[in-house]
Amino acid sequence: MTPRTRARLRPEFLATITATAAVVATMAVAAALLALGGHSPGEAFAALARGAFGTWDRFVSFTLVRATPLLLTGLAVAFAFRARVWNIGAEGQLHAGALAGVAVALVLPGAGAVLVLPVTLLAAAAAGALWASIPAAMKTGMGVGEVITTLLMNFVALFLAQFLVQGPLRESRGVFNQTDEIPAAAHLPALLPDTRLHLGFLFGVVIAVGLWLYLTRTPGGFRLRAAGASVKAAEVSGRFSVAPVIWLSFLVSGAIAGLAGWIQIAGVTHRMYEGLSPGWGYTAIAVALLARLHPLAVVVTAIVFGALSAGGGAMQREAGVPEVWVRGIEALVILAVLTADRIVQWTTHSRD
Amino acid sequence: MTVAARLDSITRRFGPVTALDKVDFELAPGEIHGLLGENGAGKTTLANILGGLLAPDAGRVEIGGQRVELRSARDARVLGVAMVHQHFSLVPRFTGFENVALFNGEAWTRRGMIAPGYRSQVEAHASELKLDAELDAPVAALGVGERQRVEILKALMSETRVLLLDEPTAVLAPQEVDGLFAVLREVAAAGTAIVLVAHKLDEVLAVADRVTVLRRGRHVLTEEAAGLSAGELAEAMVGRAVAAPSVSGVGSMGGGEGERGRPGGQTADGGGAQPSGEPDSTPVAILADVTIGAGEAPALSDVSMTVHRGEIFGIAGVDGNGQRALAAVLAGTLKPDTGAATLPDEVGWIPQDRGEEGLVKEFTITENVALALHEKPAYRRGPWLDWARIGETSAALVDELDVLARSPDTSAGTLSGGNQQKVVTGREFLRAGELLVAESPTRGLDVKATRAVRERIVQLARTGNRPPGVVLISADLDEVLELADRIAVMVRGRLIPVERDDHNAAAIGALMLSAGDGTP
Amino acid sequence: MKLYPTTALLFVALSALQACGGDSSDAGAPDAASVTATRSVALLTSGPVSDAGWHAGAYEGLRWIGDSLGFRISHQQTRTPAEFDEAFISYAEAGYGLIFGHGFEYQDAASRAAEQYPDVTFVISSGSRPSANVVPLIFHLNEATYLAGMAAAAVSRAGVLGMVGGVEIPSAKGTFVAFEAGVRAVNPDATVLETFIGNWDDVSAAKEAAAAQLRQGADVLIHNVDAASFGFFQAVREAREGGREAWAFGMNRNQNDVAPDVIVGSAVIHIPAMFLRAARAWGAGTLSDEVLYSGIAAGAVDFVLNPAREGVIPDDVLAAIDRARAEIVAGTLQVPRIEFVEGEGGAGPEDPGVQGDPLPS
Repeated sequence: MTPRTRARLRPEFLATITATAAVVATMAVAAALLALGGHSPGEAFAALARGAFGTWDRFVSFTLVRATPLLLTGLAVAFAFRARVWNIGAEGQLHAGALAGVAVALVLPGAGAVLVLPVTLLAAAAAGALWASIPAAMKTGMGVGEVITTLLMNFVALFLAQFLVQGPLRESRGVFNQTDEIPAAAHLPALLPDTRLHLGFLFGVVIAVGLWLYLTRTPGGFRLRAAGASVKAAEVSGRFSVAPVIWLSFLVSGAIAGLAGWIQIAGVTHRMYEGLSPGWGYTAIAVALLARLHPLAVVVTAIVFGALSAGGGAMQREAGVPEVWVRGIEALVILAVLTADRIVQWTTHSRD
Repeated sequence: MTVAARLDSITRRFGPVTALDKVDFELAPGEIHGLLGENGAGKTTLANILGGLLAPDAGRVEIGGQRVELRSARDARVLGVAMVHQHFSLVPRFTGFENVALFNGEAWTRRGMIAPGYRSQVEAHASELKLDAELDAPVAALGVGERQRVEILKALMSETRVLLLDEPTAVLAPQEVDGLFAVLREVAAAGTAIVLVAHKLDEVLAVADRVTVLRRGRHVLTEEAAGLSAGELAEAMVGRAVAAPSVSGVGSMGGGEGERGRPGGQTADGGGAQPSGEPDSTPVAILADVTIGAGEAPALSDVSMTVHRGEIFGIAGVDGNGQRALAAVLAGTLKPDTGAATLPDEVGWIPQDRGEEGLVKEFTITENVALALHEKPAYRRGPWLDWARIGETSAALVDELDVLARSPDTSAGTLSGGNQQKVVTGREFLRAGELLVAESPTRGLDVKATRAVRERIVQLARTGNRPPGVVLISADLDEVLELADRIAVMVRGRLIPVERDDHNAAAIGALMLSAGDGTP
Repeated sequence: MKLYPTTALLFVALSALQACGGDSSDAGAPDAASVTATRSVALLTSGPVSDAGWHAGAYEGLRWIGDSLGFRISHQQTRTPAEFDEAFISYAEAGYGLIFGHGFEYQDAASRAAEQYPDVTFVISSGSRPSANVVPLIFHLNEATYLAGMAAAAVSRAGVLGMVGGVEIPSAKGTFVAFEAGVRAVNPDATVLETFIGNWDDVSAAKEAAAAQLRQGADVLIHNVDAASFGFFQAVREAREGGREAWAFGMNRNQNDVAPDVIVGSAVIHIPAMFLRAARAWGAGTLSDEVLYSGIAAGAVDFVLNPAREGVIPDDVLAAIDRARAEIVAGTLQVPRIEFVEGEGGAGPEDPGVQGDPLPS
């Protein structure tokens, strides 16, 4: 394309075309792979779409339910990343929150929901924050990079969870490595009647709006964005110390991730066991980055990821595509979206 | 005549802006070619095209008589074109030597080790060029001037046909400028063509063989330097008659401030403030025996100073002699290890590095202004920031400072250097009720922007009933001489007062390069 | 926020796919009516069906059901309980009448779905809570590992034996309890080591655990680590290559082919056969609401010698093993086990659930 015509095309238009091309191309690759494996691409993609959006109930009970832990962990990651705190530890904070919530729910068997729900939610948030406070202290106190510490804390949390469900928190029958079922008072009520969608999704949306207001409308949020964009400018031109901002972002991020773990139990599984999370804390990084760390956009990207995951199940059930293939296709779709996103960014900001 | 490099009818656009419009440019081997123009005139774009960083939209690039298409700086380097940027491209964690080696292929053995003899080669080359580059400290620990010496050495270690220097003298002491020019003359004598992108007209005239002036993307003139005066060049750059700032100071400013700031001259004062340099006005900041750091080389060593209302206290010195620490102490962000600092509650601080410290580039102008306002109750409504109010202040600032931006919502990173500095200056003035610390406030700015910033600083210190005191910290000695009422020199963490009789480049320059104990 | 156009694009793309999917739904997708016309059977596994063990057996059983009964079949691999619920509901809604959940972890989700879909039968391998339409399918693999223990004790020269398990769940633990009992039936003084690696698929952890037991002097090892068994066998093979005499026993499926050089024999569950029987019974309307217990007597499990390693076990021990097998079938030998079905006491060795044809060898 010559410079002249390029200058004439509106960048938004160009971006849309290129992004569409990237999506189509990646989907074509996915389709070709499916065909090579002996599966009908049309059927597979149709199953994907049906599984995620086929009916209102599928969308609500499958996609949104699957999106909920990704929404919460995605928000946790996005908030920390905004402050340039690379919290890779949402997975561990999620487990810490889950354990705390279950433990509290199990020691309050007789109490009513009015008491149990707030107390367990608080306990989960506190445990997530506590788990994040260790890397926070190491970063602010000793200058240890949080990428390593938060990541390592994940393994500590996973092994702690394993130990607890095999030992102190093991179900009273003592048979399986799982806790007892939490009392009904601790179950999160349904958000919509006759669906599996629980209140946790609403919490996620409320937290997203809250974080957005905090970041854009309050002095604290402003400081956090400034510190995230440039520590030097924050200290020299903003005249504030960055350490409290880092602490805050660690603690809030950890608390939200902690909530994610407990909400999954209170809303869906009703008990804790080994392998609670299939890596939501890590997928959350992709969710947050794709949303450009914007809390409201995280709601959208979490639903996209939830839809892919729910659609993936349908792809197995209805089109007979094996799980490993489904994971591959999911990855390709995410790749397509990221590529398109980057193209849009690139074409509309190419003036410098 | 043979040609080292030639640009033929080069056009380059950035979106709707035409940065270069059919510009011709020619370099002869062994010449020093001054490239002048205001910010945005296209001189950096031109240098970047020759350096392979930008591709032209139209036109031809020739190097050594061959038409070439440069796709990267590496392409250009292979053809012998080296570039020293205004913002240095050094790895902060590496030492000076490692940086030199990193960018020079011949430093490496096949197995990926630095060749054993390379260190002595670098040292030999450095002393040959009289470049006193610090090779063993991490670059992050060096001042801007020291980094530049590493950067130049890095560029000159390989066979170089064309050397592009973007504003190289902005941070140097006069003696060092002379030293650099001596180096450049030697390099040129060996056949390398040198492009000197600059804004100090005197210096360009002193060293350049030929001068090219760009204005708003168009070629204005190319002439032998010998036949040109600073006034003619300034007129060519701006397009109308102006007084070059380094010659006649802020004389063109309105408001009756009058002529001031000639080296050693008496300060006239039309604004009704105190005669400068006399300690009978109110002190606004007092440092008493302030020391930062310990051991052999403390950042600040027993520094005492008093800043008064309405005076401009100039601090001269080569970069990296404790100016950073002094600025931070005065601004209140760094507490003295020993000694006492009596400071106003709020201090305006124009930091040295406006891109990294003065601005958050991702932020809009308004958000950058908010950096100074977000703590103030007047700009809050309950728990919320009153963005409407902040926006008004910011819009007024943009208006008043004549910042060329579409709106206060323009991202600061897209502004030119001069406009960025206007934003920083304007914001810090909001804080400078009592004291303003200005660190190299005109570094890298063009003639017009420099003039505007200096005018604003003088105006601030001279007008109103309660003008603040200003501490001007600058490696640009001309600037200090021109603006300051009192002058002190920072050398190795010590602050040495300069007698009024010694307010001249030679005396201060000697102090700047002294050991810091008062002996030259 | 440049994100929104991109995301919107994805939604458009997905909706478009959904639209074109409308045509193909007649062809491949199970809309309820067409599926119920034939019998439809679904399987959920929590691991890959390429594990050459527990999950592979279930998938093979599903294939048998499709091939020999002509039922429509479908399989989904699930990872989290949210997916368990989703998958049960989706299959039930799509008209699948029999759904296998292959592992104890499906019990809770199956109980929930069973209330919602009373017409659908859920068969849960190693399940613990039977109800009107939830049928636990319990494999008495411990009967086979008891026989394996007898063989192992005869093979071991050191008198030290090792057991490497995955997750310490009752069904796994039970196989080890019986193995140890079998060992002691032959050599009362033997030492038996036990390690659980905490998962079913960490090949290197399984290898490490086996190597550690070998270092402690064990020379005959049995595993119950499913997909991680490749590492387990590798450790034994390397010990042999290092000049030691070491042997291994396979588990769940006949693994004699997996590592014929080191395997003496395998404790086998005939999962495919049991699945086929359950499906056949369900098709005939005779599937019990109780628990399906299945041991050696029903032909559901057995201990199989590796023909390539004939002669390793002395004849008198072989004879003793055959006698023990006969006693188990006759009900005169009670092999130790771990009970985990709620409300069931110690169920006898008889197999009340499935009465079918003897298994094909």
